[in-house]
Amino acid sequence: MSERTWGVGELIREINAALAGTFGEMWVRGELSGVKTAGSGHRYFQIKDSEGALSCAMWSSRAGRLRFRLEDGQAVLVKAAPEVYPQRGSLQLIVVEVVPEGVGELQLAFEQLKERLSREGLFATERKRPLPDLPQRIGLVTSPSGAAVRDVLKVLSRWLPLQVLLYPVRVQGRGAEIEVARAVRYLGRGDLVDVILVVRGGGSLEDLWAFNEEEVARAIAASVVPVVSGVGHEVDHTIADFVADVRAATPTQAAEMIVARLEDRKRRWEQAEDVLKRRIDRIVERTSLRLAALEGARGLARLPARLQELKERLRRLEQLPPRLRAVVSARHRRLDGTAARLFHWPVRFGAPRRREVVTARLAVAAERLRSLLGRRRLEFAGSERALAALSPEAVLQRGFSITMREGDPAPLRDAARVQPGERLLTRLAAGSLRSLAVGGGGGRQGVLFEEEK
Amino acid sequence: MSRPKETFEEALAELEDVVKKLEDDAVGLEEALKLFERGVALARRCRTQLAGVERRVEQLLAEAGESEQLEKAPFVPEEG
Repeated sequence: MSERTWGVGELIREINAALAGTFGEMWVRGELSGVKTAGSGHRYFQIKDSEGALSCAMWSSRAGRLRFRLEDGQAVLVKAAPEVYPQRGSLQLIVVEVVPEGVGELQLAFEQLKERLSREGLFATERKRPLPDLPQRIGLVTSPSGAAVRDVLKVLSRWLPLQVLLYPVRVQGRGAEIEVARAVRYLGRGDLVDVILVVRGGGSLEDLWAFNEEEVARAIAASVVPVVSGVGHEVDHTIADFVADVRAATPTQAAEMIVARLEDRKRRWEQAEDVLKRRIDRIVERTSLRLAALEGARGLARLPARLQELKERLRRLEQLPPRLRAVVSARHRRLDGTAARLFHWPVRFGAPRRREVVTARLAVAAERLRSLLGRRRLEFAGSERALAALSPEAVLQRGFSITMREGDPAPLRDAARVQPGERLLTRLAAGSLRSLAVGGGGGRQGVLFEEEK
Repeated sequence: MSRPKETFEEALAELEDVVKKLEDDAVGLEEALKLFERGVALARRCRTQLAGVERRVEQLLAEAGESEQLEKAPFVPEEG
């Protein structure tokens, strides 16, 4: 029997044919080690157990479908076929599928991504932004035909002045994550909407998978606009939920948060406006009572600003003779009292009772107050005229004059104190006279000045 | 309509502050009037902002290519 001689390549081919015939594709249980990803996307690793190790290659076309990351130490099942790699003559497993052992594939992928993004700080509380001030323009990322969109719109219909901009996407199936991410990126630029709701109704882990994809997580994290997630039911947590600024348990709850915020702001505004209106009603009421009282006392009721003006005029009256000054200063004191009372107006208000608010009533109240004060102003103008009659100018106008020694502004009121030969100055309504005293002293020679009573 | 520089939140907070001051019995008349006028202006601003948008429900019409500006169309959900 002649011995057969083999070429190397020929033998390898023969061996591989035998391997394929004997084993074909099969499942191998072991632990991953030495996982490497080549630039081409192919994965190389070993699968081993306590008794041995086998080299594995997984081509990029297959590796691209992996949902989780291959990591050293993972317990896995690989579906593979053994073959001899001709260039090195070494045995390796050509892997077509890797499944984690113990936990589900999706579960593992979920945990891995969560762990990785968490380490990056994407879930950090400091990154979370509150809902906007007034979320009035709502960006909605969901399927246009699911129950979620109806639930959300139903709740949002409770608040009338609101805009909803739906970016319709597929929320499950291959490529859904790409659509969801694109929608979030589009609406998240900052000028289109105030807040984004990313929602989807309940389903299996597989159904909700798009919301566990890294691309969606990255898009949410990068959004300038705050994102509210409402995916699945209460118990479902997705990666999107962790990255979102606000997590709602369901689509309905996401919408509720928006409306609740608007309703709360409106309530606060109504309350403030209501109190404001009732306070001013009270002030007007108090003021009119107080002014009526002043009117009864013939007081010089005026606004404080006008009181200042009046005080200025009074200061100019200071040069009046003492008796006249006494009359004026009595009025002055009353004015001060009035000013003090006006400045320190005691205002007491009742507690809020009703919530009905009509701004028009505020305007009416203000108008009432304004006209009230306007009337006071007119009444005062009369008092002011009376006071003006007391001024030296007015007295002089009536034909009286004031005489003083030249160089001494104090008015003379006793002829006995004037010596003959003294130079005098007499102020008339128009101009003044200089004169020389020729008589005087002793007797009461005349009245230089008549005082106003 | 020119958008106020103040945000709604700021206007509301100031309004609430004005009301608090106005509730103080010791406030003077002149001051009360000033507060009131400020309060009315703030309340009006808040109301304007609360009713600031006209109700609209629209959807974006995504084209095959990811164009920068997508068309909008009214959206009415299917009954179901």
